[in-house]
Amino acid sequence: MTNETVTPWNKPRPNIDTDSEEFWEGLKRHELLLWTCKECNASYWPKSFCINHDNEPFAANCEWKASSGYGRIYSMNRHEYAFHAGFKEDVPYFYALVELDEGPVISSTIVGEQPTDPIRDIGRRVRIVFEDHPDAGFTLPRWELVSE
Amino acid sequence: MSERNRIAVVGLGEVHPPQGMSQRMSASEAARLAIADAGLQTSDIDGAIDLRRTGGGGDRASYSDTFTRFGGITNAQFYFTIGRGGALAGLATAAATGFLDRGLAKYVLCVAAVDDWSKAEESKKHGHRGMSHAEKEGYWGKALGDLRAASHHSWMAARHMAEYGTTSEQLGAISVAQRQWACLNPTARMYGRPITIEDHQSSPWVVEPYHRLDCSLISDGAIAFILTTEDRAKDLKQQPIYVSGQGFGEVNDGLWWEKKNLTHMAVPKARDLAFAQAGITLDDIDTAQLYDCFTGEVLLQLEDYGWAEKGGGGKFVASGATAPGGDGIPVNTGGGLLSNWHLGDAVGFAEAVTQLRGHAGERQVKDAKIALSTGHGGELVSPSMCSIHTTTILTAE
Ligand SMILES: [Zn+2]
Repeated sequence: MTNETVTPWNKPRPNIDTDSEEFWEGLKRHELLLWTCKECNASYWPKSFCINHDNEPFAANCEWKASSGYGRIYSMNRHEYAFHAGFKEDVPYFYALVELDEGPVISSTIVGEQPTDPIRDIGRRVRIVFEDHPDAGFTLPRWELVSE
Repeated sequence: MSERNRIAVVGLGEVHPPQGMSQRMSASEAARLAIADAGLQTSDIDGAIDLRRTGGGGDRASYSDTFTRFGGITNAQFYFTIGRGGALAGLATAAATGFLDRGLAKYVLCVAAVDDWSKAEESKKHGHRGMSHAEKEGYWGKALGDLRAASHHSWMAARHMAEYGTTSEQLGAISVAQRQWACLNPTARMYGRPITIEDHQSSPWVVEPYHRLDCSLISDGAIAFILTTEDRAKDLKQQPIYVSGQGFGEVNDGLWWEKKNLTHMAVPKARDLAFAQAGITLDDIDTAQLYDCFTGEVLLQLEDYGWAEKGGGGKFVASGATAPGGDGIPVNTGGGLLSNWHLGDAVGFAEAVTQLRGHAGERQVKDAKIALSTGHGGELVSPSMCSIHTTTILTAE
């Protein structure tokens, strides 16, 4: 599912560095990449090492692999203030820490149908939504609620 | 207690307000006050440590390289910066201990300064709230809406509420208790402005579940303190306050997948080490200065240290156990970061020294002999936030 916006990017830009470049390229292809161990399939994000093996050289036994994109809200809040002027039109927004089915946790906002309460809706099932910003040069991950 | 030559705090200087003072000016003034308080001369200081926050709004090397020159600390043989988020005084004290133990210095000046209030005022002119808005290397979330400490710290409170049924009113009890303490502290920012649970509940949401009154203050100011060895401390002007135990913990033992992170702090190792060195148990502590960037951190620490069981912190604070006259433990007796002012753990450290000296005026905890001061902070790489925990036991004897 794509959620494209055309307004110019007036928010802070994400940090994209050599460790995360491939992850950000994956988002552009609408893939949520997790750093995954070739030996035991354990998943990590951000880029890390596999705790289950020796790492020689560091993190060498891992590669980027697409996630299912499904998970559950592990914690959540509702932003009422636009701490940055670029978010003035967005507040209030729900910002969720999501525990992916593969294990790692990644945070972003909830788009589409909104939760009713930041506490009561902790534990709800979500899936990834890719929000393209071609002019800004990146795609952002968002979450949407799914019914079970 | 061990027989070794302990380290003591022998001088204290605190500058706040005024607002609108540069960091180097307030740091130098706090240093001057601390040296005078100890009855020392500037020329006696032979080592200096600059307590610098990292992460959040902290910046690493602005005035820091000039501090000893600016402050006229000409005899300092070493000078460096230390700090991890709000964990400042605990780390500086441990570092200074190494230099003093080895005879590399006699009197170490530790100084911290902050101009967040001024920076936030400047930021408002550009339509933002808060301080820095540039995403740093390896960080996550600013582009998405995770903009300030409240953006992710509130996950801790939210998760605790979801898991244990903790309520916003219970968090409010922490805010109210600390305001009661602040109303006994004439230099607290919120002196003379008592609040009720209703005030807490009707204060605007900043990031729900955090109301405005769950959040700490933004301040300008500086704190300096002087450390020396026990044998030297006995000859100085002030009653020495001893650093009797220290311990450190890291909550990200399990990297980013460690979700316990949201309802616990890295207290056990830090606590056990510090308590063992000091030869104390929890019941021996007369006052606790717990790092309180938000109300949730106080709740978690009260549980992690053992004053309340895990999940039971809400009931504990709602009973008034941490407030003036409470039957639990006097917590953040100067008002804390919530109601006194904010310069990381240096504020609680200074309050602990003040209490143990018996200089706390109306808010004095009777016969306070043993104080706990904690620090908390770290990189805000979501969600492994503020992974360090520092425990410092200060004693009057
Ligand atoms: Zn593996």
